This record gives sequence, structure tokens and C-alpha cells, in this order.
Amino acid sequence: MSRFASSLFMMFGASVSLAATPATDSRVSFVSCPIVRDTSSVPCWLAEYEGVLYFLTLQTDVSAPVNPPWLGHKVLVEGVVSGEADICGGRVLKPVTLSVMQELDGSCNTMLPAEDRYNLTFEPPRPPGPSRGRLAFGNPMPAGAPAAESAARNFTLQYEYDGMVAFRHAQTLQRILETARASHATEIRITGFRSASRLSNGSVMRERKSIAQERAEQIRALLQGAGLDGVRYALQVKDLSKRPNGSEDAARRRAEVEIVSPN
Amino acid sequence: MHIRWHVVAIVGLSAVLRIGTCHAQEVAGHVPEQNRQAQQAPSSAGSSEPSATAWWLPGDGKTLAALAPYRNAFGSVGVLNAQGPVVTAGHPFFEPIGRNGRACVSCHQPANGMSVSVEMIRRRWDETQGKDPLFAPVDGMDCPYLPPADPESHSLLLERGLFRIFLPWPPKAADGTDIDPEFTLEVVRDPTGCNTHPEYGLRSANPMVSVYRRPRPVANLRYVTHQGFGVFSFIGKNGLPASRDPETGLPSAMNLLSDARQPTLKTQAVEAAVTHLQFDGKLDDERLQRIVDFERQIYVAQIRQSVAGDLMEPGGPPGLGVRNVSTGRDGLLGNNITNYVVPLGDEWKHLPDSADGRNRMRESISRGQDVFMFRTFWIRDAMHLNTVGLGNPTKRTCATCHGMHMMGMDVANGWMDIGTTNLPWAREEPLNPWNARKTKLPLFKITCKANVPPHPFLGRVFYTQDPGRALISGKCNDVGTIVMQQMRGLSARAPYFSNGSAGTLRELVDFYDRRFNIGYTDQEREDLINFLSAL
Repeated sequence: MSRFASSLFMMFGASVSLAATPATDSRVSFVSCPIVRDTSSVPCWLAEYEGVLYFLTLQTDVSAPVNPPWLGHKVLVEGVVSGEADICGGRVLKPVTLSVMQELDGSCNTMLPAEDRYNLTFEPPRPPGPSRGRLAFGNPMPAGAPAAESAARNFTLQYEYDGMVAFRHAQTLQRILETARASHATEIRITGFRSASRLSNGSVMRERKSIAQERAEQIRALLQGAGLDGVRYALQVKDLSKRPNGSEDAARRRAEVEIVSPN
Repeated sequence: MHIRWHVVAIVGLSAVLRIGTCHAQEVAGHVPEQNRQAQQAPSSAGSSEPSATAWWLPGDGKTLAALAPYRNAFGSVGVLNAQGPVVTAGHPFFEPIGRNGRACVSCHQPANGMSVSVEMIRRRWDETQGKDPLFAPVDGMDCPYLPPADPESHSLLLERGLFRIFLPWPPKAADGTDIDPEFTLEVVRDPTGCNTHPEYGLRSANPMVSVYRRPRPVANLRYVTHQGFGVFSFIGKNGLPASRDPETGLPSAMNLLSDARQPTLKTQAVEAAVTHLQFDGKLDDERLQRIVDFERQIYVAQIRQSVAGDLMEPGGPPGLGVRNVSTGRDGLLGNNITNYVVPLGDEWKHLPDSADGRNRMRESISRGQDVFMFRTFWIRDAMHLNTVGLGNPTKRTCATCHGMHMMGMDVANGWMDIGTTNLPWAREEPLNPWNARKTKLPLFKITCKANVPPHPFLGRVFYTQDPGRALISGKCNDVGTIVMQQMRGLSARAPYFSNGSAGTLRELVDFYDRRFNIGYTDQEREDLINFLSAL
């Protein structure tokens, strides 16, 4: 993998530490239509806000830390403008969090053709066709991983805005399930959070009121559905939607799971 | 002890049916309701006329050879029994164990790659004047109330090779309780009359949805039921719990049936006996195990391509021929250049001309594999594909979805909606004053309820010929999603797609071309068809 590709991976990977990034003027939060631009390799995803075109992410695969948005829907973009060279003609947001808005919007339909000047100057993490052998994901629970370490008994699920469990949560849920079984868990403590997002134009988007409870109950139902019976489930909710600050909003859209076991 | 279904209901043992004497076998919660309707439908255990050479009669006691070749339009398909010849006399897969005279083999014919082609169905109708048990009213007719002697009553079977699948509505959870569906289901077109019928329809005493589907091949099931890559306790496409083997508790690959409603070969066999054979009772462990053992050792693949010749010759492509299929690795992702979905090697890439055209065809098959693996196009608005991290649209290839090594089905839990049953992409008859043909499939109006998000690509109200997985899950975004089919033995078992909407390999390729605006050249299309014909 090229140095640029490694850099790109690090950029995407850093998105999970959004909460640690201080709020600055370089932060942007907005809702707009995504734009897909073809290249001679994989397409890249962009979005325009107040006349500036931003680079969001590349098409990769299911393992990508930042998954591309969808045409036909607006996207909530929460990111930090980096000083890196433009990609596909867009200013790079790093880190960035994307939330596909649930309602359909037929006006979001822009596909731009490839142009030589916007082709990638680095090798993308994977080509648009078959990979060279790197698997998109492996065993979510490597052998021996559920050793009874307290650090491994706390898990966080991050959500899109107004989102519930989706494909990206399957592996985290698998780790929770296997850790609970391996450690003979007696109790699963689940905390569902509700958040809000302060946009760059000053407006605030709040997740639906019941979502913290829904998130906690859904995780309980999924673990029970997967066969994790015989443990006590303790649910609580936290509403963090009162004071969105534009920097930690995305990180607050989460649920926390703590596994309690005798040893 | 003979357990009667109604007794199970009366004593309130829940709608979970337990069968077997040694190991209790749980069956999905919808089966008891299906059994009630199956027993309600008349049976037609009529006499069977002598069969055509390739037709396998239930109970005729022949031995199925270790390697049995059957001719088809593109050459020959091979049926390989890895455990050696199968004595079918007394074998529960081959004996008519239900009350309508069918056996499993009725709809899983060796000559048709262990499915059944519409060509074979039509021939069987002609040979028996429609009296073969294949045409049993329960599901071999558009609806059981129709007159059985009239071929119009069997139109979907005779025209598209479709059998009626009847499922309770609302859906049932594994414990038999009702699932509250995320959408309402309204019948807007009911050409068969079954969905609105007072005895068999949605408003009957045993509310049931009827949809019409092709039989899936009973072969290569070691691959289909693998426990390898992508099979976890939570479904990789939506994070929800995977169904589990009721005996072992292990998660299922959920790729057996087009709606993934049965987790294992055993539970599938139980349901099939109830619904397709009108078997009313208890399949004991011994018979179940014999069925499963047979199904796990049988392999199917094309073994001769009519122009390219022998697909099993020594040193030939490692992904072709039934022997290679029988020894391949299961549970492996092939959407990469280290494994390939169908590994062909380089032997057929550049060959000298041959007078019989053999080498040109071999090169075409090899190019077809390249089209399959490397020809990119934009995949858009496909539920459970564009929604699983790739973006909408995504620039990918056939192998993105058809990624299972050697099989070409999804290696993970494989249901998605590419538009084979959901409008606007599903095949419908053109309505105009000059067309007398009428669509025979039902049409349902789907309205996603206000308390769930709309379908990501179809909105809150849309139409479908078959809600697919959603008839089991009750999920709005599962409507029209169908579990991907394996690609082996295609030449032996037209038509294609779960609703038989592609009559030929050409129509199959053309569907994708239209759906995703691929723009295949004539050469690409021909190469791809030749590749598919050799699988």
C-alpha cells in the first residue's frame, strides 16, 4: 500500500476519535446532497456547502471506517477541514462522520464523470473490482480474545443521526456476545444515548426523543435474539441533546454496553 | 407415536412443532399454519405414466449412479454422488412419503441439476395429461381451488416453472408468535385468485400469502450451508441476529431458501414434506438424516460444453466440472484474485484455432469470466448491497455480490433486492390494446408504517410481485429481497431468478444490463453467456 493510501486509512480511522478533536473554526457541519465523481479507479464522494466542495471519502468496502453516502438521500456531514491536498477536487475533511438522512430526496442525483485532473494520485485501499486478497473483515473475535480483561468488557456502538443498529454493528455485537459467554456474564448494562447536531449555519438537529430508549432496547433484543439468555439486562438512557457543541455531537450518538461477570 | 398437528395446537404446546424421537427438532413457527393449508388442499395422487428417459419417478427404485450425465441445450450436466451410487429404493428423498404421490425428487430432478426446468415440466404435462403428482393442487396449481385438469390452472408452473409458496400473514417468529410487520400488505392484483380466496387467501381462517417461486437446486449444499467467511451470530447486512440451527445453536448461513426462512437442511426438509408432499405427520430422525446425508454429498455442475468440449479433462480449468466442485473449499470468499469465484487459470486464454471451434469457445468462456470478475458498472438502489458500506451507487463488478468461491452466490447471508420482484424493475406484461397476454403473478401494494423509516430506495409506498424475505422478517426494507442463487448447473434448469422471469441465459444477462445500465457489447454479452453455460 502506498504512503498516500496509508495516510488515507489513518485519516478514516481517526474519525472514531472525533470527540477528542477540539472545536475550531475549521469544523464544518452541514446537510447537503452528496456528489459522486468517477475516477479511473474507484469513485470519490464529495459534498458542497456554501460554495466549497469537500471531499468526504472514497469507495472502499464494508470495512471502511467511513462509508460512502447514498444518492437519493441528503447526508449530514460533520468534519474538520484539513490542510491536506485536495482529493478529487474537494477540500479534505479529516476526520469526518457521515449520516445518510432517512427520507428520500430525488434532487440528490449528481454523478460527475471522470476527469484526468481529478484522478487519484495514490493507490486506493482497494480497486473497484475484486481485491488482491485482503479480506474486508475477518473473524470479529480472534482466538483467545475474550480473555477476562476488564477493558474488553466495555463496548461502544456509534450511530448515524437518528440511526439504529446497521451492518457496521454486526461485528461489535458479535464481540459483545462472545465476551459475555466467555466471561459467564451475569449482567449486561446498556446505556442508550440521544444526541443533537449543531450545524455550521447555527441551526440544531435533534434526534427523535425516544431514540436513546430504542437503542438500548434494541441491543437487548438483539443479544437475546442471538441466544444470550440467563443474564440480567440493566437499561438506562441519557439525553445529551440539550447542548450540542458542534464538536462532540457525532460521538454522542452512541450506546455503551458493559459486561458484568463474577471474575 | 403419531403426532397430529391439530393436537399440537389444541394442547397449546405453542406453534413450534417438535418432531423426532431422539432429538427434538424445532421447526420454524410458520410451518403449522402451512400444514393446515396443505392438508386442506385436495391431493391428486394420480397414476404416473411411464417416464421420459430423464424423468425420475418417485419410488421407481433405480440406482442413481456415482456420476450421472444428462444432456441439455449447452452440453451435459453432471450429477456426482461423492459417497458413490445411491440406492433409491426405500430412500426418503426418492419415495413418495406424502399423500399427493410426490417425492423430493419430483421437483429436484437429476436431469435438471437437481431443480426442475420448465421444459421438463411441460413435457411431463404432455406425457401424463397433467396427472403427474408434480401438478398437485397444493402448489402445482396457481391455487388449489382451480379445476385440476385445465392447464390454465397450472399456468405459472407451465409457463415459468413456479410453485406456489404459501406463508402465514402476519409472519411468525420461530416460537410461533405473530411478528408485527413494519408494513401493510394490500393485494392489488390477484390473477390466480389465491390471495383473495376465502379458503386459501389473506382473509381466510388461516390467513396466508401466496407467492410463486422456482425450486432451488438440491446440490452443492456443503457450500450453501457453510460455516466459514461471513457467517456469524449477527447478520452482516443489517446487524440483526442470524437464525440458528435448533440442534446446535450455531448461526446459519441463511442461504438455503429464497427468503432464508429455514436455517438447516433438516428444518427445510420438514417444511418441504409438509408443504410440497402434503406429508401429515412426523418425519422420524432416521429418514431426516438420510435426506440430509444424501443432500450433503451430491454435487452438480456442467461437465461438457457443447462446443468447448469436456470440462473435466485432466489439466482443465480448476473451477469447472463437477469433480472440481466436489473437492473445492467451502466458506471462501472468491471476490479476489487469490481465490477467484470460478478459478479458470490461464490455460484457455490464448489458444490456437481449432477446426471445430472448440478453442474459440474456450477463449470466450475465459473472457466471460473476466467480464464477470472485472467488468465494472454502477450498481444503484439495490437494498442490502448499496446499504452495506459501499455507497449508492457503487462501481463494482458481478463478483461483488456473486462472491462465493465455486458457487457464485453470496458468501454471507445473501438476500438483496436487485429488482426481480419489486417494481419498477420486475418483469411485467406491457399493457396496451394490442397485447392480450396478462401478467399471472400477484401484485402487492406495500406501505411502510409511519413509525419506521421508509424503504431507502423505494420510499414509503411501493409495489411488489413477491415480498421475499419480508414475508419472514416483517421488515420494510426486506421487501423484495431474495436470497441469491448458486450459479452451478444453470444450463440444466431454466428459467432463472426466483420468479422465473428470465427464460434463458440471454434474458438473465439482459436483465442486469437493463437494470444497471451496464451497456455490454455483443462480445461481452456472448462471452458472459458462454461462461455461465459452462458452470
